[in-house]
Amino acid sequence: MNCEQIAELLPDYLQGSVTIDQAGQVEQHCQLCNNCAQDVAMWNKFALVPRLQPSPESRARFEAMLHAYRTISDERAGSVETARKSGKLKVAWSFFDWFRSPLGAAAWSVALLVIGVLIGARVGIGTKVANVASPSQSEELTAVHSELTNMRQLVALSMLQQQSASERLQGVSWSGREAHLDPQVQSALLHTLRYDTSVDVRLAALDALSRHGSQPQVRQGVVDALQEQQSPLVQVALIDQLAEWRDPGAAQRLRNFQQTPNLNPAVRQRAEWAISKLQ
Amino acid sequence: MNPVPDEDVMLQVRNGEVDMLGLLFDRYQTPLYNFYAKMTQDRVISEDLVQEVFLRILRYRQTYRPGTTFRTWMYQIARNTRIDQVRKTRPETPLVTEPIAPTSLSDSAQHKQEAATLQRALMYLPEDKRELLVLSRFQELKYDEIARLLGCEVGAVKVRIHRALQQLRQVFLQLESGAPATDANGALEDSRPSAVPPGRRLQ
Repeated sequence: MNCEQIAELLPDYLQGSVTIDQAGQVEQHCQLCNNCAQDVAMWNKFALVPRLQPSPESRARFEAMLHAYRTISDERAGSVETARKSGKLKVAWSFFDWFRSPLGAAAWSVALLVIGVLIGARVGIGTKVANVASPSQSEELTAVHSELTNMRQLVALSMLQQQSASERLQGVSWSGREAHLDPQVQSALLHTLRYDTSVDVRLAALDALSRHGSQPQVRQGVVDALQEQQSPLVQVALIDQLAEWRDPGAAQRLRNFQQTPNLNPAVRQRAEWAISKLQ
Repeated sequence: MNPVPDEDVMLQVRNGEVDMLGLLFDRYQTPLYNFYAKMTQDRVISEDLVQEVFLRILRYRQTYRPGTTFRTWMYQIARNTRIDQVRKTRPETPLVTEPIAPTSLSDSAQHKQEAATLQRALMYLPEDKRELLVLSRFQELKYDEIARLLGCEVGAVKVRIHRALQQLRQVFLQLESGAPATDANGALEDSRPSAVPPGRRLQ
């Protein structure tokens, strides 16, 4: 067998789905052909790559997402139910009432006439009219994407309000997926950065916001958060972030911050360093 | 006792028993994580993408049709999720070309190094070829499953996998010898290993 014939067998051989005879043919060929033998050797090398395990938090994160999803679905179902009971039924009844009125009867007659004319015209023209353009695929895709974005935002907002710090952490990570930060999510993240009780959650919020430094409100929010932080760890992280954004406007705020009494010396030093970088 | 088939579990999820998705998460989070880890070489992105896949499964559970293999349907979602992620991050991926120093090593250290080189070589392949190798070798998808996933003939899948393997071999040899990983046709110029922060890089 030549290389071309072997090439046809090789993919199946690699996945172990050839007959014993065919396997023998491939192996025999590989003893003589270095090129094909190296393809097989390359495939076998994949066995060296270890199988990885996701982090233990992954399951908890999934649970938190599922929980948030259920909460949102229940809320939605509840509001739809309420709307149905109170609003839509009334609309339906008032529609039928109107239908029975003299004005409704006149409108009904006109509508029938129009429908009759339209049907006549349509039959006359033939099938040409039937080709109504459907919405393009790209429009559908855009709709799907925006729906997913909304879903992620809802999950993030719901999780940011949870009792447990780990769920709020997940909320932060969900919020950071989008290239464009929704204003509602942005304000939730800035709120978390300032007031969350857990240092880890505040740091994660800063990390999520760090990707949106091009937005002035985000930079402003991070500067504002500095004044209220008590944890040196978060203070240093905020200072580093401001230095990284190279926003000269932040230098004055950092100078004011540096004057805060009882400031941790390491934090003061970091602020000095950041000011020198921003000038 | 045989475990409940994925398809039955998914139908339950589709019918509103969303908690049953946990069972599918336990079955597939590791394979999916490995799929993304091989595609991106980034732990954090891989975990994010796994979560995103399950959010999408939940959101679009009504589109799952009875009789469809769950695994194929899930990988379809996983591919789309990855495509969206690539679209968002592509402009920020500079080229990394540090050669691996040739040294004499013990067997296990050498295996480790070969595995690392192999993973780097994978990152130099174009996305579609890398995906074919990852799906067929690491995810152990059969060629007919991959063909359904990509919407092409099984024969075409086999040919493409063989070509991808040959290209990977070339890149692997170049990386091992310390040469920059590009081929004579310049076919690799668009494929660049992602810049992964050191703390997140896979071993």
